[in-house]
Amino acid sequence: MPTKGLVMLMFAAVAAIVFQPARAQSSKDVAKAGAADKTGSTGSDAPDRAKTLRAAGDALGMVRWSDIGAGRSRLPAVDVVNTVELWGSGTTYGGQASKSGASGPAFKTEYHVAIAYNPPAMRMELTRANSDASVQGAAPQHTIQVVREKYAWDESELGAGLVPGKGIATPAPGALNSRLLQLWIFPYGVVKAALAAGDQTRISTENGATVITFPLGGQLAGVTVKATLNASNEVAKVETRADNPALSDMLTETEYSEYADHGEILTDIKSPGHIIQKQGGHTMLDIQLKKVDANNPYVVFPVPENIKMAASR
Amino acid sequence: MIPAFRRCKAAAVVAVLCLFPAAGHTRQFSAVSRTTNAPPQSTGATPRTPDGHPDLSGVWNGLGDNLIGVPNQLANAGIAVESESSTRDVSSGARIATFPRGTNKPLNDEQAERAAALLRRMGSNRPVYKPQYWNTVKNLDQNANEEDPSNNCMPAGIPRAGIPSFIGQSPTYFVFIYPGTGGLIATQTSYRMIPIDGRQHTPLQELDGTYTGEGIGHWEGDTLVVDTYGFNSSTWFDQIGGYMHSENMHVIERFHRDGNTLTWTATVEDPDVLLEPWTTTPRVALLNPDPKAVLPESLPCSERDLGHLATKEHH
Repeated sequence: MPTKGLVMLMFAAVAAIVFQPARAQSSKDVAKAGAADKTGSTGSDAPDRAKTLRAAGDALGMVRWSDIGAGRSRLPAVDVVNTVELWGSGTTYGGQASKSGASGPAFKTEYHVAIAYNPPAMRMELTRANSDASVQGAAPQHTIQVVREKYAWDESELGAGLVPGKGIATPAPGALNSRLLQLWIFPYGVVKAALAAGDQTRISTENGATVITFPLGGQLAGVTVKATLNASNEVAKVETRADNPALSDMLTETEYSEYADHGEILTDIKSPGHIIQKQGGHTMLDIQLKKVDANNPYVVFPVPENIKMAASR
Repeated sequence: MIPAFRRCKAAAVVAVLCLFPAAGHTRQFSAVSRTTNAPPQSTGATPRTPDGHPDLSGVWNGLGDNLIGVPNQLANAGIAVESESSTRDVSSGARIATFPRGTNKPLNDEQAERAAALLRRMGSNRPVYKPQYWNTVKNLDQNANEEDPSNNCMPAGIPRAGIPSFIGQSPTYFVFIYPGTGGLIATQTSYRMIPIDGRQHTPLQELDGTYTGEGIGHWEGDTLVVDTYGFNSSTWFDQIGGYMHSENMHVIERFHRDGNTLTWTATVEDPDVLLEPWTTTPRVALLNPDPKAVLPESLPCSERDLGHLATKEHH
């Protein structure tokens, strides 16, 4: 049994957690967020917030340290998650929902996503085969959607537009926010963004479950995230709402389950095995992950020159 | 890859490369106790040679655990742990969530190994390859236990060898010595002779590619610049990451002494495989505080562990 003094010491130490800026938001945005919070926060739930976010980070294996070969050095723990790559398959839904309220047409989908948080970036590669009988035989649709910081673009092939003669990169500025959102509502992004939101992050309990609520910043300012943890402190459900009607396409509801270390190389980082995402109550994506590389794999997101030029116009 | 002096664990189901280096040349003095991995602060004046250039000579291993342990590897990855509550990525400036050590639970060896593998790879300063090599690099890193060219005690090569542990200096040449060591990469001892007599490079087509290439130095102010080409393609150019290169790699190293510290960076140019040049995060070595320090003989590099590996978990 720890002594009371030790418990107090640990408690104080947990409260000293420093927050990593969610890089969908700039450091300046984070500073602004902190300043804004001073007017409205009593800070009374700060200890719960620190403990809850640490527990959520620990549950995913994000908070790590190691003393190997360190001699007398003893470093603190840090958030080690930067890059992750995921492969899965399942169903995605497109087009308009039917009058009956059902989701749009279903596509069997191969899902491959690479994400990075420093700098914030994502490449989502989907190969969709139409399951609609009327279009049977149509070639699978292959898309590569990329986002990095303030740039969004589509690639005709992996890394298109970076080397002369190798594919075409097409600007997709209208998709910037929705793609960035996917980064920050993924479980690791939730913990990072909740930490970054500092005093604006609220901890509550709903139906016995711990709920973390926080605003996003930067490009996604005006979007609020509500994350529900399961009994193991893993992110089980993420709902977003937008204060601004112009951000209505930001309204999503995503369920994460079947957490495990899915890596061929074990890392002790847990990833969800099953993802279901809905918009407006309609299922948009239902993916079973088959493999995850969470060992900070080599995934890069250089921005093609034509994408930079298009964004500067 | 792993010398005899390393303490290793080879479990029946999960075999992990062990990283408890105890190289003799780091045992001559006490490691500095620290809770950050910040580079050492320089002290003292920078000595100069009679010709007026900074004197870079000496044994540069003055921070025992800074050379081969996780704190230094984290620094090499561009992650600066500045205090118990503050960490940032040097390249991007991003702050990284930091949790005071007192809140951590004890780790077993396996947990520590897996964490170390993540810590070494979390920095944002990564070379950007041409897209056709992205999967190659990723697969090399993922399969490093089989693919790492430094396995079986082969040379680390340049710039992977990093800061030499000994520098000898004359008006017309430098001698760099890289002792064989344990740690992240365990390799045989290697050395380089770097002329600084104004000579030009041998035409590339006349060079047989080697592990350390043809390095030629010159002074840019008080910074020694070593320009090297003429490599073989049998090395990786950083400690981790599967960062392969072609025979057309060109490396520019910069050595700058400030008091008792030596700052080193390397820029890698390889238009065959890289989309753009890549520069390491600056690394800093501390002069051995013992003015009589010498490099002891390196223990023979004897590969004993690769045959016991049962998984792809790596160092």
